[in-house]
Amino acid sequence: MDHRLYYVVGDFLANLVLGVIVGAISWAIVGPGWNMIVAMFVMMAVGMLAGLFFFFPAAIKLGAMEAMVPLMFTGMVSGMVVGMAAAMMPLPLVNALLMGAASGVAGIAFIWIANSRLRGVTREAEES
Amino acid sequence: MPDLVTQAKWDRLAPRFDTMASKGAEERWQPFKQGLFENMDGKILFLALGTGLDIPFFPTGKDITAIDISPKMVEQAQERLAAYDGKIEAHVMDVHELTFEPESFDQVFTSCTFCSVPNPIEGLKALHRVLKPGGKLFMFEHTGSRFYPFKPMMNLMTALTRKLGPDMNRTTVANVKAAGFKVTEVNNVFLDVVKTIKAVKPG
Repeated sequence: MDHRLYYVVGDFLANLVLGVIVGAISWAIVGPGWNMIVAMFVMMAVGMLAGLFFFFPAAIKLGAMEAMVPLMFTGMVSGMVVGMAAAMMPLPLVNALLMGAASGVAGIAFIWIANSRLRGVTREAEES
Repeated sequence: MPDLVTQAKWDRLAPRFDTMASKGAEERWQPFKQGLFENMDGKILFLALGTGLDIPFFPTGKDITAIDISPKMVEQAQERLAAYDGKIEAHVMDVHELTFEPESFDQVFTSCTFCSVPNPIEGLKALHRVLKPGGKLFMFEHTGSRFYPFKPMMNLMTALTRKLGPDMNRTTVANVKAAGFKVTEVNNVFLDVVKTIKAVKPG
């Protein structure tokens, strides 16, 4: 993760909010009549698109790629999780929002872990 | 003749470029860009100038030639150019058609440039031509990722962002090597997506 507190809090909140938004969208679109696999793929795409739209206001405060990549990833995960859950069973709105929020937290946590593994000087220069 | 499609795209973006880029991206990237620009020495070519957002991060007293394909961007950069404590000569120029003499620069710096150059290997070969033997290339760039799930995401994003501005899935490190440079360091700033690249033109 970025070591500056402003960006740690900003990234966390942006992904949490997006997770909730995508949770609500997924709840509104998908119902128990849906095929679970179709719901998963459709809502992953919708979530990524929502992440891309949410990126534009977030970018003004949080940066370019550091905002775009996590938001699109969180949108995808949140759409997948809530979309599949809504296809499997009748899902109360509050549960969809909570699952979306949890997906947002999981999304940004994954990015922080991946970033801690990938950042820094690499061996790419030596590779042919 | 410059690439008119690319030129028109960046001309259109110029009036609102600062709003999109300065508050977020530039502030977040400031320490990494400043760290890279601290290497500035000798006769320097800088691209792409844009609206001059990088100028405040330059060390003072340097001799810099800066280019950008968009006349509107260069127009927007005038205030920051005037405020720089050193020498910056700005030109509207396409990297594919550099008019500088071969081997005329000690260093080339690029800042979020090769996400947008239509033919990146040819553009890098042009930089190779104007660098002196042993001259150094310093890049701050965003690229595609080599890892799942980021790689397919960046490919998908590119389908959307290419029309508006930059590509998100460039293989810039490989392109630098393909253009004839020896890459000496790749430092990932965010994931393997935002990075600094240092390379040298073999002498």
